[in-house]
Amino acid sequence: MIERTPILNIATHAILVFGLILILVPIWLAFVGATLTLQEVNSAPVEFWPGDQLVVNLREAWAQSDFGPKFVNTLIVATGVVVGKITLACITAFALVFFNFRGRMLIFWMIFITLMLPLEVRIVPTYAVAANALTPFQTIMDVTGISWLITALSGIEVALEWNLLNSYTGLILPLVATATGTFLYRQFFLTIPDELVEAARMDGAGPLRFLWDVLIPLSKTNIAALATIMFVYAWNQYLWPLLVITDRANYGMVVVQLSDLVPDQLTTGGGTPTWHLAMAATLVVMLPPILIVILMQRWFVRGLINTDK
Amino acid sequence: MTQKLATVALVLAATAGSASAEKTKFEYWYGLTGDLGAVVAETCNRFNASQDQYEAVCVGQDGYEKAVQNTIAAFRAGKHPTILQAFDAGTADLMLSGEFYPVSKLMADTGVNIDWADYFPGIANYYSSKSGEFFSMPWNSSTPVYYFNKDQFAKAGITEAPITWEGLEAAFVKLKDSGQACGLAYAPSSWIDLEQFSMANNVPVASNNNGYDGLDTKLLFNTTLHVKHMENIQRWLTDGYALLRTQAAGKTSRDSFVEGECSVFFSSIADHNTINKLKPSFAWDVQIIPTYEGVERKNTVVGGASLWVLSGKTDAEYKAAASYLAFLATKPEQQFLLENSGYIPVTKSTYEALKAEGFYAKAPYINRDIAMKSLTWSEPTPLTRGIRLGGMIQIRAEWQAEVEAALAGQKTMKEALDTAVARGDEQLARFAQTYAGKSFP
Amino acid sequence: MRRAYFKFSWIAAALLAPQLLIIFVFFYWPSAQALYWAFTLEQPWGGGNTWVGFENFRKVLSDPYYWSSVRVSVVYALATTVLAMSMALTLAIFVDRQLAGYKAYRVAIIWPYAVAAPAVGLAFQFVFNPGAGIFSYINTIAPGWWDLSKYPWQAVTAIVVAGAWKQVAYSFVFFLAALQSIPRSLTEAAAMDGARPLRRMIDLQLPLLTPTFFFLLVINITDSFTDSFGIVDTLTGGGPFRATDLMVYKIYADGFRGFDYSGAAAQSIILMLLVMALTFVQFRYVERRVHYT
Repeated sequence: MIERTPILNIATHAILVFGLILILVPIWLAFVGATLTLQEVNSAPVEFWPGDQLVVNLREAWAQSDFGPKFVNTLIVATGVVVGKITLACITAFALVFFNFRGRMLIFWMIFITLMLPLEVRIVPTYAVAANALTPFQTIMDVTGISWLITALSGIEVALEWNLLNSYTGLILPLVATATGTFLYRQFFLTIPDELVEAARMDGAGPLRFLWDVLIPLSKTNIAALATIMFVYAWNQYLWPLLVITDRANYGMVVVQLSDLVPDQLTTGGGTPTWHLAMAATLVVMLPPILIVILMQRWFVRGLINTDK
Repeated sequence: MTQKLATVALVLAATAGSASAEKTKFEYWYGLTGDLGAVVAETCNRFNASQDQYEAVCVGQDGYEKAVQNTIAAFRAGKHPTILQAFDAGTADLMLSGEFYPVSKLMADTGVNIDWADYFPGIANYYSSKSGEFFSMPWNSSTPVYYFNKDQFAKAGITEAPITWEGLEAAFVKLKDSGQACGLAYAPSSWIDLEQFSMANNVPVASNNNGYDGLDTKLLFNTTLHVKHMENIQRWLTDGYALLRTQAAGKTSRDSFVEGECSVFFSSIADHNTINKLKPSFAWDVQIIPTYEGVERKNTVVGGASLWVLSGKTDAEYKAAASYLAFLATKPEQQFLLENSGYIPVTKSTYEALKAEGFYAKAPYINRDIAMKSLTWSEPTPLTRGIRLGGMIQIRAEWQAEVEAALAGQKTMKEALDTAVARGDEQLARFAQTYAGKSFP
Repeated sequence: MRRAYFKFSWIAAALLAPQLLIIFVFFYWPSAQALYWAFTLEQPWGGGNTWVGFENFRKVLSDPYYWSSVRVSVVYALATTVLAMSMALTLAIFVDRQLAGYKAYRVAIIWPYAVAAPAVGLAFQFVFNPGAGIFSYINTIAPGWWDLSKYPWQAVTAIVVAGAWKQVAYSFVFFLAALQSIPRSLTEAAAMDGARPLRRMIDLQLPLLTPTFFFLLVINITDSFTDSFGIVDTLTGGGPFRATDLMVYKIYADGFRGFDYSGAAAQSIILMLLVMALTFVQFRYVERRVHYT
C-alpha cells in the first residue's frame, strides 16, 4: 500500500486466512460429498478427504438433469434481470433523489415495502398475474366502467391477455421488481456532493445529461457490485421458475433441476438419498456465478476519479 | 353484435411454439423427485410410445406439497394440469372443493374399463367416497413395516420377528443381553406411530370415524392405546433399548440401521428398495408392524400418493387422461413401478400374477409382499378405512413438536399428547368453519 | 434531509413509471389479494370464503407459541446481522489493503453467495450434524454435548451461523465496492498527514462507509426476517420442539405446506408490520448518523 507495516500485514493475512477457512468449509465439504459413492455419502461420520467418484458423479448428475440447455436459459434470464434491474434502479433512484416533488419519501417506501413480503406468501395470486399480466388493467377497466364504455361505443369487447407463462419475460419481469437496487442507488446518489450538481447545472446540463455524463460514470463500482449480486440472485432462483415453467425442456432453469436431485425428506419414504449427485450438481451449478464474479472483479477496482473538485 | 377482439395489447408468442397436434395432449404434475421422479417421467414416456393418439406431458414439481401448492395456484388462474399426484394429507381441501373428476365416473364416462373390485380394499377405501366410488387413482402405494437385522437377531437367539409389542420389547431385552447396544432406532413419525398404529390396533385417531362422517371432528388419540404406546417408547429410550435417531440428532434411523448400530427401525415398505441400494453388510428382513396383545389386529392403510383428475378441462383431455390412468393400472406398468421402487401392487390380480411368477421369491424383492399381509389383514372397518381430516399437515406437525418435547424431558407424554390434541382440535374447528355446510363426499 | 435540484417534470415521471408499473402489477396487485385473505377463511381451491374480520389475527396473537416465534426471529435477525456485517466489514477492509493474494480472497469470499439455496442447508448438515458433522468431534471429547435435537440454543446457533454465512458474502461485496470507490487521493493525503493505517481506517474509511453500512444494515435485517425459511427448513425443520420456528418459517409451514392461506396471510401482515417498524426506526434514528457528504 502506502507505507510498510509488517506486523499489520501479518495480522491482515492471518485474519483473511482464518475468515476464508470459516467461509469455505461448507463448500469444501460439499466438494468432498460430490466425490463419494452412494454408500459413503450416507454413512457417518463426515469425510474430510475426497474420494474418487467425482467424474462419475458429475457425469451422472449432468446426464440425469440435462443441464446443457438449462444453463443457457438461466444465463439468458440472469442477464436479462441484471440489465433490467440496473437500468430500472438507476433511473428510479435518480428521480427520487434529484427531483423535487411531494411524496418522494412515500414513493420510496412503496418501493421498499416490496422486500417485506416473501414470494411464498403471495405466490398464488402472483401466478395468476403471470398467467395474464394485464389482469389488473382489465379489472380496473371493468370496475370503473371503461370497458363497458368501449363496448357500447364500438362494439368491441375488451379482453386483454398477456400470458407470461413459459417465457423468458415471465421469468425476468417479476425478479426485476425488487427494491434492493433502488435502495443501493439512493444511498450512492445521496453522497454526490452539492458542488458537483451545481457545476453541472451551471454548464447548462439538463437532468438526463447530468445522469448520463456525470452520475453513471461515478457509479461504476456500485454497478459492478449490484450486477454481481443480481446475476447470482437470478441464477439461483428456483421457486418461481418451478411454478411458471412447465416446458422444462425449453425454459427450465438450473437450480430447479438441482433441487430435483436433493432428496425430499418429507415423503413417506422411498426416494434414494442421492446426496453425492446433489453435491456434484451443486458444484456444476455454482461455476457460472463464480466465473461472473471473477469477471466482475476488474470493476471492483479503485476508481481514479477525483470527486473533490 | 360484439366481436371478440382477441387481444387489444400484446400476446407474447412464447407459448405458441407447440402446434396443436394430431395428438391430444394433457399435463400431469407429479411430486416425486430424484430417482422416483425419473420413474414417473419414464411411465409417461412409455405411455407416449405405446400409442399415438394421446400425449402425456409430465412435469415434476419437486415435492408433494409444492405439487399441490403449484396446482392450486395454476387452478386459480385456469392453467392447471389434468392430473395431479397428491399425497394423503394434501387432499382434504381438494375433496371438499369438489374441483375434481372422480376417476370411477371418469372411466365410466369415457368408456374405459377398469375392474374396481380388483383393488385391494385397504387401498380402495382410502381413496373412495363412503359409497365406494373411487375419487383418485391409486398408484404409488406403501404401508409401514419394520426392518430388522437378521444377524443380530440370530445372535440374540430370536428366531422369529415378533408381531406384538410385548414380543418386540422382549426381543430388545435379548438383544441387549447379547451385547447389542441399541435395539430400536427411533424417529417420531406421526404416520407410523399415530395413524398406522391406530389402524392396526383398531383404535380411533379422531371422532366421526376418523373424520369420514362429518366435519365436526375432534381428535381422540390422547385417550386411546396410543398414549400407552408412546409412554412405552419413552421408557425404551430412557432404559437404553432404543436411541433417538433423526437427521437433526445425528443420523437418520435408516442410516443407523444400515450401519448396524441399531437392530430395528420402522419405515415405509417403500424404503425396501433404498436399503437394498445402500447394501448393508448384514442379512436383513421386514416384518409387519406389531400390535399389543389382546387387541384384535386390523389392516393398516396406505401411504404414498394417488392421482387426481381435476375439473375444468376439455373432454379430449379427459379421454387422454383416462387412457393414461388405465395404462398405469395394467400389470406390466405396475411391475415397472415395482421393479424400480419399493412400492407395492395395488390390484389383486397383479399381485397374484407376480406371486405366481416368483417375483417375490427373488432378490431384491424377497418378502417385500409382507406389506400386503399387513394391508389385507382384515376387511377395512369404519375405523380402518383411513383418515380424512382437514389441516392434517398442521396436526402432524403439532404431534411431532409435542412428542419431541416430551422425549426431551420437557413435559410428560400425556401432557404432550393433550396439548397436541388441543391445538389439533383448533385446526379442525378452523377447517370446519372454512368449509361450513359442506361434508366429505 | 434530502436535497433535490431539479423541478418535477414529465422526465421525472417517465423515469419513475417503469419501476412503479412493475411493482404495481407484480407485487401490489397480488399482495392485496393475498393479504385480503387475512380477513377471511379462504378455501385454497377457490369456491368461496367466509369473512371473519380480525379473528385470524386474534387467534395468531393469542397463541403463546407465536410469541416465542417472534422472539426467536428477532434474536436470529440481530445475531445474523451483527455477525455477518462485522465479519464482512473486517474482511473487506483487509482485502482493500491489497496485500499479496488479495485478488484470490476477493473471489473466494463471495462464493457462499453463489451456492444455491437447496444446497446450503445440505452443506451445513455436514458441519453441524452431531453424529457425522464436524461438530461431532466435540462430542468425542465431551460426549452428548453437541446435540441439535436436544438443546434449543444449539439449534438457534446453527441457523444463525448458516444464515450469516450467506450474508457475509453479500455484505462483503458491497463493503468492498464502497471501500474501493474512496479515491486514492484522499487516503494518500491522509497518509502524508501522518495518519497510520489504523487511524486512516477509523477516521477516513469508516465514516465514508456509513451510507453503505446503512444500506446493508437495513437489507440484512429485512432479509433475515423474510428470506430465512430455507435454512430453517433444511437444518432444523423448526425444531427442536419449535425452538427455531422463525416467523417466516411458520408462515411457510402454515400457508405453503398446510394450505392455511388465511392464517398465513394474517401472520404475514404482522411480519410486514414488524419489519416496517424496524426499518422505520432505522431510517429515523440511524440514518441521521450517516455521513452522506
